[in-house]
This record gives sequence, structure tokens and C-alpha cells, in this order.
Amino acid sequence: MLTDTPRKLTIIRDRSDKIFRGVVRAGGSTVLVIMVLVGSFLAFRASQALNKAGWSFFTEQAWEPDAGRFGIAAVIVGTILIATVAIVVALPLSLGTALFITEYAPRKLRSFLVSIVDLMAAIPSVVFGLWGFFFLQQSIVPVSRWISQYFGWIPGLGVTGVDPTDPLATTTVYTSSTFIAGIVVGIMVTPIVTSIMREVFSQTPVGEREGALALGATRWAMIRNVVLPFGQGGIIGGTMLGLGRALGETIAVYMIISPVFFIQPNILQNGASSVAALIALRYGESTEMGLSALMAAGLALFTMTLIVNFGASIVVSRSRSGAAS
Amino acid sequence: MNIRRTFIKSTRATLALFLTGIIVSGGSTAALAVDYVPISGAGSSWSANAIDQWRRNVKQYGMSVNYASTGSVDGRNQFKGGTVDYGVSETPYGLTDNGVLDELPARPFVYVPIVAGGTSFMYNITSGGNPITNLRLSGDVVTKMFTGVITKWNDPLIAADNPGLTLPDRAVVPVVRSDGSGSTAQFTLWMATKYKSLWDSYCAKVGRNECGQTSFFPTTAGMVAQPNSQGVSGYVAQKANEGTITYVEYSYALKTGFPVAKILNDAGYYVEPTASNVAVGLLGAKINQDKTSKMYLTQELGGVYNNKDARAYPLSSYSYMIVPTTEQSAFTTAKGATLSAFANYFLCEGQQQAEVLGYSPLPVNLVKVGLEQVAKIPGADPSTINIAKCNNPTFSASGENTLAKNAPMPDPCDKKGAEQCTAGTGGAAATSTGGVVGETTGTDTTGATGTGTTGGMLGGTMGTGPTQCDADTGTCSNIKAVPVATTSLGWAATNWIILSVIIVLVLVVVVPPVLVTYAARKVRSS
Repeated sequence: MLTDTPRKLTIIRDRSDKIFRGVVRAGGSTVLVIMVLVGSFLAFRASQALNKAGWSFFTEQAWEPDAGRFGIAAVIVGTILIATVAIVVALPLSLGTALFITEYAPRKLRSFLVSIVDLMAAIPSVVFGLWGFFFLQQSIVPVSRWISQYFGWIPGLGVTGVDPTDPLATTTVYTSSTFIAGIVVGIMVTPIVTSIMREVFSQTPVGEREGALALGATRWAMIRNVVLPFGQGGIIGGTMLGLGRALGETIAVYMIISPVFFIQPNILQNGASSVAALIALRYGESTEMGLSALMAAGLALFTMTLIVNFGASIVVSRSRSGAAS
Repeated sequence: MNIRRTFIKSTRATLALFLTGIIVSGGSTAALAVDYVPISGAGSSWSANAIDQWRRNVKQYGMSVNYASTGSVDGRNQFKGGTVDYGVSETPYGLTDNGVLDELPARPFVYVPIVAGGTSFMYNITSGGNPITNLRLSGDVVTKMFTGVITKWNDPLIAADNPGLTLPDRAVVPVVRSDGSGSTAQFTLWMATKYKSLWDSYCAKVGRNECGQTSFFPTTAGMVAQPNSQGVSGYVAQKANEGTITYVEYSYALKTGFPVAKILNDAGYYVEPTASNVAVGLLGAKINQDKTSKMYLTQELGGVYNNKDARAYPLSSYSYMIVPTTEQSAFTTAKGATLSAFANYFLCEGQQQAEVLGYSPLPVNLVKVGLEQVAKIPGADPSTINIAKCNNPTFSASGENTLAKNAPMPDPCDKKGAEQCTAGTGGAAATSTGGVVGETTGTDTTGATGTGTTGGMLGGTMGTGPTQCDADTGTCSNIKAVPVATTSLGWAATNWIILSVIIVLVLVVVVPPVLVTYAARKVRSS
């Protein structure tokens, strides 16, 4: 008698399958290759400046490449501060918007709201910059002033060089600040963060939703116990993707801030800095050394953004919603 | 690398386009037009208002001229790198700035003077709720304001220049350029020439030895830095930014509707950078006449700073276009034909508009040599230009500069020490400061604004100091004092209320879920 042996499975792919797999593989690997090329280009061009500056590149605050004194201490801190403000603005805004669109909005309104939010992502950043510079800045100054007056004792919210009892005190100390740039960038990243969260929330299993409702949960209780835990990965991942974009935002920040090259911890005070805005400001005007220094700053930003984005994708893929999608 | 550079440039070009509010629309192209090809340039934002007007004008001939006002330094560098067809700069190549020599480009080039203008001091300051529009400043006071020596508007030195004004106890906030700028270069050259010790000691204070002429303004605490002329003028023009002063070409003050300071010249008169005052001032400029020099046609401004004419504006200067003289990189004969046609246009007809825009037209000698330079561009067709038909306001049969010759003498009230003129300046020409109504200095020929915002004062003599006029009745009265609300320091009752509201808000959000969870757990365990 013959014994049963498992049949060997061979996959025979026809030509169209093979071509499709090849195209998709090529596309996927091209992205990686481009990223590696960008990174190595930056590293190559930055090497001249990095060799000259050495480790002081990470501790020096000034930016005078031609005098040999330059480092990213001030600009990186400035970039992180702007991105932090942006995320503080964007997170509650997008979470609320996404929950409203997926859970509360009437079905007819939903697609309209989705396209409005997507439209926001299509506005060029220079328009946001103009809006921030010509409109938001003068409107936000009283707010900055109020915050600094009552919460100035919290580190980072104080403003030096202004006497609140003096009615003639200049309000320019509150302009061109990390805070204003951060708000504008926050509004810019909101659409991206919102659409990721919305996507994840809408994938919540219907069975679990209905189960919660059947057990007598209110809509809010259902959201809290089913939608939010399920969408946790999407919330974190979306926020981190937004953070990645906020770190690299250029033109809007370039237009609003008054660049300074020392660590400015007071977010409400005039004077801020960001790597991307520094590159936009100095790129056309630099000597070879200056260009190399800018490349080094760009490399630092590139690395930081990569870490943030990889972190985001790891979080997303480990979560229930991410694994499913 | 060029692709990356072009990418960033194009982003900045878009920005510049938006800032100046100019989007050249495609559209009616004359059918008879020569086949022009699009050309692009970058550089000075000082002269951008004129260039933008010109390129809109030549659109009707089918010329598509692009310009990104990204600053003179950027313009020179981009021309050097071959990424643009022409550059525009206030300063030539070959200068040493902050220890770095700006080397000459490898591609052969010539300078073409494009327009004259005055680097003006646009400011935003009010007294008693009314804008001050007739500020006068002497050179050393301006220098001290931009070097942190004078920090308050009520400084006795500013008061000495302005006997008719009571300036508030506000901080002086100098707004400077954050990018590499020809305006900064012109301003710092003037300071380094006339007020060397003040400028040098400031440079030493901020850690730059002997900056001399520099395109990068060294900043210090209390200053605000903004990119581009549009950026600095836009910042000063924000209503809330009181106490700010910036250096920018006169046209930006006209465009934003803000006044400029009248600057004291060597003849003892405070003058405004109007077209005729700039033309008079530039009679003192020395132009490099050595045709073999790499600096041919560039300016030497010492004579302008020390011009003894009562009408001369001391910070007058020319701006230059840098054009290639050979075909190279992407520059073809076809592009040369377009560029030279554009240059011929602005050197001839375009100069008529200079005055309206806030610039000053070139004198005939510079137009002539400018046209000669343009003829060196590959593909140029010089035959089309008849210099007699340009209608340039400076031209005359005798060769004299008509604009400078007919420039009105300054008002007696503009003389140092005398009673101060009350008429407004710059873009705020129609808003006078103080009590006298309807006085015209005759210097404002820009037509930027009509008359009438000051009119309608009924009888009565006003003292000095700020006045307030009722819009309906036209009755004016002096303002003795302006009530202002002061805010108390420290923890007053309101602070406690705010804090408790915040705490209550947090509790409202946090407590119910915690309680529910706790209760649920209890139910489960029992």
C-alpha cells in the first residue's frame, strides 16, 4: 500500500503575475534606494563641515560657518519646540475632528466634511505662512501676552524684557515667536493627522461597536471603550507622522520667525529657529563651507525625521488596528 | 545639485510671487510679437517693485520675464551658479563681506544700471492714538537707533530732531533683514562711511570685527529680523507693531501706506527720498568709467552721502542688473534676445514709471551706457531704440538732468532747528501730524493718496501735541492725556479665579470617568 505523503505545492505564476510582482517590487525598492541616496548625498556633502566642526557641531549654538563657529544646538532645539507646539495644537483638534466625522456627523455630511479636511491639506504652505504673518500674528499677540502675564512662572512661557505694568510696552516681543510658528504648523499638519485617525476609527469592528451598544453603553462610552482602544495605534501613529511633517515645515516658518542663533526656551518670545527655515534662508547665500554646514544640519533633521517616522510605523503596526490594515 | 537648488529656489520664487502679490497671468499675447522665450532672474527685493511693474508691462509684447526677489546676495550667487538668466543686485561682485570674498562669476557678464532709489526708514509710531507721519532724523540718530544706543522713542536725541513732536516712552524696535540683502549693504555702507566709530563699536559688541559694508545685518536682542523687503515692510506695517523702524526702498513705504523718516543731509535740511531728491543726491555719485574694469559702471557713493545740495537725499543709490555676455549654461541667443528687449524697454520707456513706483529714473548718461552694455548680450538688437523718444523725465536737450534741475527746494520748515513741517511723508503723505492743516511740501509727487484725511478743522488754534478730530463734525481738540488701563502684577483675585476655573474644568473632565471606573470595580468585586 502506498502511504499518504503530502502533495508538494508549487505555485505556478503566469506572466502577468510575474510582471506585476516585478513592478511592485521595483517600486518598493526604488523608494528605499532614493532614501538611502538622499541620506548618503547629505552625509557626503556634510562631511566637510562635520570634519571641521567635530563634536562641537552638536553643542555650538552660533551659525557662522565661514568663521568656523557653527552647530545645531540652537536650531534643533528650536525645531523641536516649534514641532511640539504644533502637535499640542494639532492633536486635540484632529482627534475631535476625526471622532466627529466617524461617529457623530450625519452620513450625508460626512463625505462633505472629509473633502473639506482633505482640501485643507491641499493649501500651499506659503499661503499658511502669509496668513500667519499678516493675519494671525497681530491677532495672537494679546493671547501670548495674557499667557505670559499669568503663566510666566511656568518655565518656557515667560517673556523677558517687557514690563506688563507699562501700557506703552512694545508688543513686538510677542511676535515672530515659536508659539505663532507652532500654531501655524499645527494647523498645517492637522489634515494629515485627522485623515489617518479617521481611517483607523472607521475600521473599528462593527460587531464590537454593536456589542457595546447592546450592553447599554452610551455612544460616548462605546467610543471610549471600543473605538479609542482599537484606534490607539492610529492616534499615536498619526500624531507622529504629523510630528515628522512639523519638524520639516519650511516656508511658513521661514516667513514668521525672526531667526536667532541661541537656544530660545521662551516659546512666546520673539526669536525662534528651525533647521528647515535656516536652510531656506541661507541656501542661496552660502559659500561652499556654509553649504556644507547646511547639508550637515539637513542630515541631522533627516535622521531625526526618519527616527520619528519609523517609530510611528512601528507603533502603528503593533497595534490592533495597524495590524489589520 | 542644480536640481535641488532650483527646487528650493522655485519654492522661494513662489513665495516672492505671493508676497508681492503678483501673479503674472498668461493671456493676451500680441500677435505681431517676436518669438520671445521665457527668461528668469533673481535678486534684489530693493528694486523688485520696479521690475515687477516692468515685467507686467512687457507681457503685452509677448515677453515672459520671471523674477524672484530673494535678495541681492542670492541673486548674485544664482547668476554665478548659472541657475538664472540675469541677476539683480545693489552691490557688485568682488567685495569682502564678513571675511568672505564674493568671487567673480566664471561666466562673462556686465552690469547694467536699472533704476535709482532711496533706502528709506519706514516706521510705525503713534502719539495719543494718532500716527506720527512727519518724523525727522539725523544720520547719527538713525545709526544709534539701529545699533542699540538709542532704545526709546522719547530719547532726547530724537526729540532734538523733532521739536514739534512729543514721542512716547516706547521701545525702539529696529526691524532688519534676515537674508543677505542689498538694502542692508547700502545702509551699512552709509553707516560705515559716515558714522564709522558708532558702527564699528556695535560690530565689536556683537562679536564681528569691523563689519564695514555687510549684506548680513548683525542682530542683537531687541531687534526683529525678517526675510525680504516685503517681510520687513510687512512687519512694520502691522498695526500692533508700534515702535518699529526698518530700512527699505521708498516704494515699499508707498505701497504699505506708511511714513518714512526725513533724513538730515549735509546742507542741514531734512529730506524725503522722493524721485527728485534722489536724483539730486545721485549727482554726487561717482560712476566707474573704466571700460576695461570688471567694476565698470558700478557706483561710489561717498559724494552722495556728503552732497551739499539742500535737496539731496543722502541714502540714494543705483541698482544693477547683471547680464551675461556670452552664451553659456542654459543661456541661449533666443534668451539673450528676450533679455535685451526687456532691458531696452526698462532703460527707455520703463523709466517713466520709476517716480510713480517710488524710485527715481536713471539720468541720460547712464541710460546711454546701459544700452551699450545691453548690446553686448548675445542676440541683442540695439537698432530698435531711439533714445530721444524714451520720455525719460531726466532727459533734456542740453544733457542736463531735468529732474534734478527742477527739483523743488525743501520747505523752510524742513531746515534743521526750525519749526517742524506737519505734512505726512511716504505712503502716509495725506495724513499730517499736529495742528496745521493743508500744508503741502510739494515733495510728494507720487500720487499715492489723495488729500482730505486731514481737512475739516473748524476754527480755533491748536497748540502743539496730538489732536483728535471728530469724523462727523470735523471739530478737533487737543489731547492732553490718553487714559490707559494698567494691569496689576502678582496674584490678584482674577488670577485665582482663572486658576480655579482651570482646575474645575480639569476636574469636570477627569473625575466622572474615574468615579465610574471605581464604582464599576466595586460592583464587580462585591
